[in-house]
Amino acid sequence: MKGFGAGSVLALVASFGFAPAAMAEGEFAGVTIEAKLIGGQQYEALYSRIADWEKATGATVKIISQKNHFELDKEYKADIAAGTTGWCVGSNHSSFASQYPALFTDLAALVPAESIAGFVPANITAATIDGKLTMLPRAQFDVSALYYQKSLYADPAKAEAWKAKTGKDLAPPETWDEFRDQAIFFADPPNFYGTQYAGKDEAINGRFYELVVANGGKMFNDDMSPAFNSPEGKEALQWFVDLYKAGAVPPGTTNYLWDDLGNGFASGTVALNLDWPGWSGFFNDPSASKVAGNVGVAPAPKGSAGVRTGWSGFHGFSVTESCANKEAAASLVDFLTNEDSQKLESAPGPLPSRTAVWEYVIEQAKDDPYKSEVLAAFQETALTAFPVPPTPYWIESGNLIFPELQAAILGDKTVDQALEDASAAVDDLMRENGVY
Amino acid sequence: MTRAKLPPWLLLLMPAFLILAAVVLVPLLLSLYSSFTPYQLTRPETLWKINFPFNYEKALTDPGFWKAFGRTVLLLTIALNLEMLLGLGLALMVAKVQRGQRTLRTMMMFPMMFSPILVGFMFKFIFNDNVGLVNNALQSMGLASTAIPWLVDGNLALFAIICAEVWMSTSVFAILILAGLFALPQDPLEAAKVDGCTPWQSFRYVTLPFLMPFIYIAMAIRSLDVARAYDIVQVMTGGGPAKRTELLWTMIGRTGYVDARMGYANAMGYIAILLSIAFTVYFFLKLQSARRELGMGD
Repeated sequence: MKGFGAGSVLALVASFGFAPAAMAEGEFAGVTIEAKLIGGQQYEALYSRIADWEKATGATVKIISQKNHFELDKEYKADIAAGTTGWCVGSNHSSFASQYPALFTDLAALVPAESIAGFVPANITAATIDGKLTMLPRAQFDVSALYYQKSLYADPAKAEAWKAKTGKDLAPPETWDEFRDQAIFFADPPNFYGTQYAGKDEAINGRFYELVVANGGKMFNDDMSPAFNSPEGKEALQWFVDLYKAGAVPPGTTNYLWDDLGNGFASGTVALNLDWPGWSGFFNDPSASKVAGNVGVAPAPKGSAGVRTGWSGFHGFSVTESCANKEAAASLVDFLTNEDSQKLESAPGPLPSRTAVWEYVIEQAKDDPYKSEVLAAFQETALTAFPVPPTPYWIESGNLIFPELQAAILGDKTVDQALEDASAAVDDLMRENGVY
Repeated sequence: MTRAKLPPWLLLLMPAFLILAAVVLVPLLLSLYSSFTPYQLTRPETLWKINFPFNYEKALTDPGFWKAFGRTVLLLTIALNLEMLLGLGLALMVAKVQRGQRTLRTMMMFPMMFSPILVGFMFKFIFNDNVGLVNNALQSMGLASTAIPWLVDGNLALFAIICAEVWMSTSVFAILILAGLFALPQDPLEAAKVDGCTPWQSFRYVTLPFLMPFIYIAMAIRSLDVARAYDIVQVMTGGGPAKRTELLWTMIGRTGYVDARMGYANAMGYIAILLSIAFTVYFFLKLQSARRELGMGD
């Protein structure tokens, strides 16, 4: 029966027109909610709405930590170890969430069902771990699409050279093989590169993972034993190796993370860039980007199995199991992910996770050809997007896999050897932790 | 019946013992204990299972661990020697300066005031293959036509990391050696001059032996620092790519805090401490023999 009373009252309140947030005037007067939130300029606009929630409910929100997700992840682990989990609301991410099975509570019991029903169903499925709805997604749904420099495809000399080389018309790539060939074709190092990729940590693992899936393979078997040492996995890793060997990517790409990629494409020295939706505004902003006005956006290319890459993730908010006032915390989380919040947050480019807000942003963008192109490309890619495998060892196994991917890219190991070593290391990890 | 009383000396020392136990002994014992367990930060119940000697066996038989160990020793050896030579040169030059020496001494200490994280970011930018200062300078001067992957190639990355370490910490040596130069008695130097010694002979046989105790103290302090090298390397390369710059503490840090496997990380940490102890003992033995040579006793 836990949560029934509050939940049903909140549902009633919502149904009587107090929606979108499930809250009543002064409902949580005197309550203080401690929160650990992701920090960063692109996330801050939403936090300005916290004052509205405080005013409406009488509660106070105290932000006790604001860091990026990698740092928050470490902090959550330290909190679990020290038993200091009395704070209430925490930023969460679909790639990290499965690591904290006991830290966060089931929001399905605390948030009105109508509110949950408004989210894109696939997002709610990915946010549900072991039957618990561990977070509510905010308007930070991430999947990558292809950004490219339009002028390269409008250059008759390049089109002619490409036609002579391949017999095909020069158009944005639809497959990853075409992508690689075009990247090598456009490259003129050290002044201009065909593409670039994130080369370390979860970033390269994610890219490798989505290529394996696009080639028809999988990262893990159903029992979570490694499955990436397969023909599809080898084909995926070979793609990274080919680009590096051909000099089509910057030589330092194995040290790059998202910011390096975004800034690299904006500097005008990269032709093709698979990247997140949050960069779309930045790339087309003349004060920040040299490629502003010259950016084309297409859906993510397809792998050899005819499947689009679509490694996706999203940010969200969770409520801790030890929170003293879970109803108030859940109300805050519901408020920060409701339609108004998502409209505000998705205005500069990030993708929403509520169905109604998707429709709203598409309607809003109809007079802006660039925004419409961006939304169309990401919406198409999102249709077949997939989250990370549901294992608490995603990050830890990734730390074993990515140095081996790097070793193959840099030529320290062959593709076969690197994947064999990575697979053996992940197998050891899973066995050591009693996964099978 | 009389109650047993603690002797006054023990009573007086008790607060110091208690504070030391609380801030040093308890964390040490706890971390030592956790190194005998499969302790994971995200699963607190694992702290109560003993799996000794699994973590130690795993670390000792892991080639990756020994490669990181060897790389740490290499970094330590090169960085310490370079810092010592440059610090010695800097101190000798500053000691000759008649006007503005105080300003120079203060300026010399500027790099020490920077956070290692900031130094890491600064050198990461300097050695960036695409937009970095070094590559741009080399390409502008026509000395390179391709982008040199400073932070990707194993040797170049180690060189870049050593540059950052040396830039930040040479002044530790310089300051300590300068203190030695100020304390240097002038009589033996004047006697050497009268006996017809060349400047090199005066330096080699009079100044340097006198400075050696100061150099060994600086070496001992810096060897502990470098053996624990983490911040700069973590920022510049994160131990990568492909583990090419993996040092003991980048490996231990990732295992403990990212993978949350604190038991295993602590076991690696305790093995790594042996390295610090070995270097410290070595430099203290050298310090003692240098003091003995100067007739300063033990």
